[in-house]
Amino acid sequence: MNRLKILLVKEWRESMRNKMVLFGVILLPVFLVGTSIFMITAAQDGDPIEQIILFNTALMYFLLLPTIIPLAIAVYSIVGEKEQTTLEPLLATPISDTELFLGKAMASVIPALIVNWASFGVFLLLIRVLVGDVPLQLLTAPWLASIFGLSPLLALFSVGVTMIVSSRASDARAAYQFSSFAILPGLVPLIIYSTQKTLVDMRLIALEALLLIIVDVGVLYFAIKLFRREQILTRWK
Amino acid sequence: MITARGLTRRFGDLVAVDSLDLHIDKGEVFGFLGPNGAGKTTTVRMLSSLIAPTSGSASIGGTPLGRDNRSIRQRVGVLTETPGLYKRLSAWDNLMFFARLYGINDAEKQAEKYLKMFELWDRRNGLAGSFSKGMRQKLALARALLHEPEILFLDEPTAGLDPEAAKTVRDLIESLKSEERTIFLCTHNLDEADRLCDRIALFKTKLLTVGDPQSLKEKMYGRRTVVHLANPRSGIEDALNLPFITKTEWVNGRLLVSLSDPETENPTLVRRLVELGADVQFVNELRISLEDLYLDLMEGNHESA
Ligand SMILES: Nc1ncnc2c1ncn2[C@@H]1O[C@H](COP(=O)(O)OP(=O)(O)O)[C@@H](O)[C@H]1O
Ligand SMILES: [Mg+2]
Repeated sequence: MNRLKILLVKEWRESMRNKMVLFGVILLPVFLVGTSIFMITAAQDGDPIEQIILFNTALMYFLLLPTIIPLAIAVYSIVGEKEQTTLEPLLATPISDTELFLGKAMASVIPALIVNWASFGVFLLLIRVLVGDVPLQLLTAPWLASIFGLSPLLALFSVGVTMIVSSRASDARAAYQFSSFAILPGLVPLIIYSTQKTLVDMRLIALEALLLIIVDVGVLYFAIKLFRREQILTRWK
Repeated sequence: MITARGLTRRFGDLVAVDSLDLHIDKGEVFGFLGPNGAGKTTTVRMLSSLIAPTSGSASIGGTPLGRDNRSIRQRVGVLTETPGLYKRLSAWDNLMFFARLYGINDAEKQAEKYLKMFELWDRRNGLAGSFSKGMRQKLALARALLHEPEILFLDEPTAGLDPEAAKTVRDLIESLKSEERTIFLCTHNLDEADRLCDRIALFKTKLLTVGDPQSLKEKMYGRRTVVHLANPRSGIEDALNLPFITKTEWVNGRLLVSLSDPETENPTLVRRLVELGADVQFVNELRISLEDLYLDLMEGNHESA
């Protein structure tokens, strides 16, 4: 087993035992999917415009989850190591700085995308079963491109910001508060889509993807610089 | 096994370790004694290739620091200042995680060996977070040993433990002494250093002195004989007139005689005292605790030492 995989397994094993992390990773998606389904089925025989709005709102959740889930995991995966003073013994092993960084980042991004897309699948399935296929016609190519194409970029942004903030924060609560602005890029498409309603086109999404890639590169660059052995042991608080 | 030349580490303007020169042989237990803030942890971090020195060089098991740090880390074990265990993982999972990172083939066997040796085997499935301080320290020590490192760094292994747990850990360290394993022990506990170490360095940012516990004491004070007299009489010390006596002084009515070879010189000293009419009650060797020496050095009373 390579070291990256060893680290990932450890991260997930620890996360599974952390109530705060489980809340973000499991309860939140269940809650969001649950309420959307409830609203949409309740409005089933009502105003079609209202239905469209409800459906679009539900779709936006799948752009928020990829930012919120990595935040929940990454805060505890980094602040947790600090609080338990495990970073030094960990860094004393032959693990490389890159392996540590990638392990921490992937431990957050991978479950976030899996949970997000799985929730999306469950959502579509429930709509199909409970409502029939009417609102599914609203599921346009730009929406699908956003949910599948932008999610990884949003998750990377969130994890990068959270890793930077967590390396500086003294406790999980503070890290949580300061990291929460990582959700903003997830809200941008949300705002644009909600003002334009269904008129979201691929150009807009391509533009957003491009911007996100640029921002991601910048954020990850700083995060990687912070995740050097020397930095962690001498500069982190 | 460990050699350092002019090893220096600064943090901004603060010099934490100032041109440290060291040579530690294979199989040696080397005590690194100094007060809080002396730079012990910084030294361990440099020698275990966790942080880079500002200047100077060191070689660990023949490999120069900075050339192949990953292989250095593979060959040293570090017991960090705080145990640093994953509270939500069991003792077993904590050990297995590290064993795998070190790439140990028979990870399970190694974990079992040390859990049994440290009497934690029955608690292997307990969460590390539920362990007492002493148990955590033992688990951390087991973790540092899993990959059978040639060099073991112990950073204040008994600090913050209750006396009983401290004794257990100290006994364990004593049992780890072997020809094959070099141990670098940081401590501010003098008895610990005295009992466990082959050589001791007194250190406060700079290296103050190095030696085995006994010769350190002699180096500082020479050897002295204390004579209790039933009839202390000043002037008798001048009348002794023995060539091997380097110094005499009275302390609390006892005569302190400095000489270099008490085994052969004390009988002559006693005979002479009796001739001079002294009623000798006791003759003892003056034992200087390492503590006295240490405090003296730290206060800078022995600049040259
Ligand atoms: N990361 C750091 N940044 C700034 N100063 C530090 C850092 N680490 C240690 N120091 C300083 O270096 C000195 C030596 O510290 P340390 O090696 O921890 O001593 P010891 O382990 O002997 O108690 C102290 O004055 C400490 O404040
Ligand atoms: Mg220290």
